[in-house]
Amino acid sequence: MLRITCPHCGARDELEFSYRGDATVTRPGPDADAGAFHDYLYLRRNPRGWQVEWWQHNGGCRAFLKVLRHTVTHEVRAVAAATETLEVPGA
Amino acid sequence: MSAPEPVHPLAAVARGRHGAAGAAPLRVALPAREIVQVMLRRGQDAAFAAAMRAALGMDPPGPGQAVSGSAVTAIWTQPGHWLLTAARRNEGALAARAAEAFAGMAAVADQSHGRTTIVLSGSAAREALSRGCRLDLHPRAFGQGRAAHTPIAQIGCLVHQTDDAPTFELTVFSTLAEPFLHWLLEAGAAYGVEIA
Repeated sequence: MLRITCPHCGARDELEFSYRGDATVTRPGPDADAGAFHDYLYLRRNPRGWQVEWWQHNGGCRAFLKVLRHTVTHEVRAVAAATETLEVPGA
Repeated sequence: MSAPEPVHPLAAVARGRHGAAGAAPLRVALPAREIVQVMLRRGQDAAFAAAMRAALGMDPPGPGQAVSGSAVTAIWTQPGHWLLTAARRNEGALAARAAEAFAGMAAVADQSHGRTTIVLSGSAAREALSRGCRLDLHPRAFGQGRAAHTPIAQIGCLVHQTDDAPTFELTVFSTLAEPFLHWLLEAGAAYGVEIA
């Protein structure tokens, strides 16, 4: 069970959150070709290591949060509001 | 207002003692409340706080907090959202009052029929709640004037501690009030639960 420290509510169990995928994906501009939209929609990096992810605290304050999680150890190193930026550490 | 007096969603629940016949039972009360949801419009924080001070004599509570005035309690539920609660007198009165006070600053929705408050008190209230509630309810972590929204028995519940007896006000969607109370009676069966 992960413990995620919501910036509004404090530390809560993973059970209160829902996982919403990679938070680093950005939508291509309106003039981008179909290939760019295909990649945007279907291709994910699936890294072995740190990843910035969307988690929604839908059992609590319902806010969308960015969470920096290690995909092997499940360590949660940082949690931020949706409008903030989280840097992925090297290695 | 002309609306008929609503039936409390838990009106059919059997009053009296449920569970064990201990000397210090949990006490459950089912008050009739007016519950109004207030949703802040973007950029209106300062104006809204001033309007709330003028109308209710209190500042909007911050995250995880609740404040009680003479008649109205304000509970923070999520960023920019609060619940106002008061004893039910005239149908829709609190919502009308809030809509007038916060016009242009916040959207106001009457939730009096949509949500139901169950008041739980007694020395074993923390232990009973902890059977399904993942919040840390220890006095060091939670206490009077604290409020938090969390799933209890898979039912979204707003937990608001109003005193150190301890007394908890548990607000759930009305359609889930009956299964929630059923869970509470099971959780408190070892101590006994007295429904007033």
